[in-house]
Amino acid sequence: MITVFGKRIRLFRPRSIWIRKLVQWGFFILIALISINHGLAENGGGIPLLANASLHAVCPFGGVVTIYQFVTVGTFVQKVHQASFVLMIISFLLAILFGPVFCGWVCPLGTIQEWVSNFGRKLFRRRFNHFVPAKLDNVLRYLRYGVLAWVVYMTAVTGTLIFADYDPYFALFNFWSSEVSITGLVILGVTLGLSLLVERPWCKYACPYGALLGITNLFRVFGIRRNENTCKADGACSIMCPMNIPVDSVQVVRDHQCISCLECTSEAVCPVAKTVQFATRGAK
Amino acid sequence: MTLTSKYLAILVVVILFGGIFFSSAMGWWQTESTKEAAKITSGEFAGQANPADIRGSYTFGDVEKNFAVPSAVLAAAFGIQDSNPAALAVKSLEGMYSASGQEIGTSSVRLFVAFYKGMPYDLSTDIYLPESAATILRTRNLKSEQAAYLAAHTVPNLGLGPATTAPQATLLPAAQSTPQATGAPAAQSTPQAQTPNASSTDRVVKGTTTFGDLLSWGVSQATIEQVLGGSMPAAPGMKVKDYCTEKGLSFETIRPALQARVDQVK
Repeated sequence: MITVFGKRIRLFRPRSIWIRKLVQWGFFILIALISINHGLAENGGGIPLLANASLHAVCPFGGVVTIYQFVTVGTFVQKVHQASFVLMIISFLLAILFGPVFCGWVCPLGTIQEWVSNFGRKLFRRRFNHFVPAKLDNVLRYLRYGVLAWVVYMTAVTGTLIFADYDPYFALFNFWSSEVSITGLVILGVTLGLSLLVERPWCKYACPYGALLGITNLFRVFGIRRNENTCKADGACSIMCPMNIPVDSVQVVRDHQCISCLECTSEAVCPVAKTVQFATRGAK
Repeated sequence: MTLTSKYLAILVVVILFGGIFFSSAMGWWQTESTKEAAKITSGEFAGQANPADIRGSYTFGDVEKNFAVPSAVLAAAFGIQDSNPAALAVKSLEGMYSASGQEIGTSSVRLFVAFYKGMPYDLSTDIYLPESAATILRTRNLKSEQAAYLAAHTVPNLGLGPATTAPQATLLPAAQSTPQATGAPAAQSTPQAQTPNASSTDRVVKGTTTFGDLLSWGVSQATIEQVLGGSMPAAPGMKVKDYCTEKGLSFETIRPALQARVDQVK
């Protein structure tokens, strides 16, 4: 038993959702290989049997920012292709069913932030992910909606993929190319640096796509549900949540920041079976 | 219904790749441009390919296919000596002309094609063409405002290729046709030409605009730095374009953002 914030809680050896890591790193490697192959293909080479699409073509957010131009002019913003539109629709479908699983299970930028955070967790132990004062944190978490509005507006006005110059995801997989801006690299560096202190800082405070997908937490079909009757109120679910959501104080997690990672569930950290589950309404 | 992590993982992967497979089967999965420019939807040129939709990824051959402007003409216009100009990507021009005082790239090709085809083009922003392109265009039927715009938006060829490859180049020496080539006052037919330092009076952000110009137009240092995403250089005489090149930023992206700030001050 230990005391955290005045509450005595029992600590359990946390079990992690290992298959999520597997899926995350699978997508990370796939995107990295596609990006490298794109560079090779532009120089006349390339890896056989592997896609060589540009990173813009395999990013669903490209579909979001081009919606305005597609509706008004019938074309895509430069560098965005039809595949981005397809991925956007698939990601929305996934989000309506399961919430922002794209963020928690697929997005390579989230994966690398989590990886860096492993070092931060070892360095700062219980202080990790609790550096930002709660009041400030609550306000900052809405910043990403401002970023979303700015990106969509500027893309509509300029007709160019303006976010590419600031996008740490693009910088991550193109840092060797001349297409990357210094600003993008700096933002990537800051994001990875902050990941030593905070879990998923980009996702929490700045990601415009995460902001959009996060809205689906309000009405997703499957959600994180806590059974109050069996809950021991040990707070383990809230402590383990990478997005600092107070899972132990709600019956259904509708927080716009939940990434459906399942790390709070009975399958992972919750010590009581069938108490915190990823389920539809009315499930037992 | 309850989902465990294993089933969720399977569903995520199946829905994602299944969706891609389905869209691929339906012909919707396209990861590169079809190289078909959008059509103009209204007006005199309705139904024709729109030069404004030329992408940097197009080759001169793609431009030829869409607009019937021969690759050889494009190569001559942009001073390119290449045995196979049809394979040259439009976006490569920007790098070739990086030493130019003005930006010459995809926008320049769009403008050239529009003027070459006698089509209207939005002239509210500054787009520059090399002298060899201007020489070719002077042989076409340009409207008076297009001719005036051309006269004020021409830069020397920088020795990339011989301007003499362009028709009538020998009849129109650069020194006569492009004021900027000599640094002398411009031909008297264009208002901008009479004010070589137009950037400081017209409040239009262009390749020659310095940080000092921006400050004198009332744009604060904080605003400029916000747009740049970094600190402004100590020397206000530095050109914004040079700064962008030095910092690896896209001037084509920074320029409209700065222009928006300048317009706000107006």
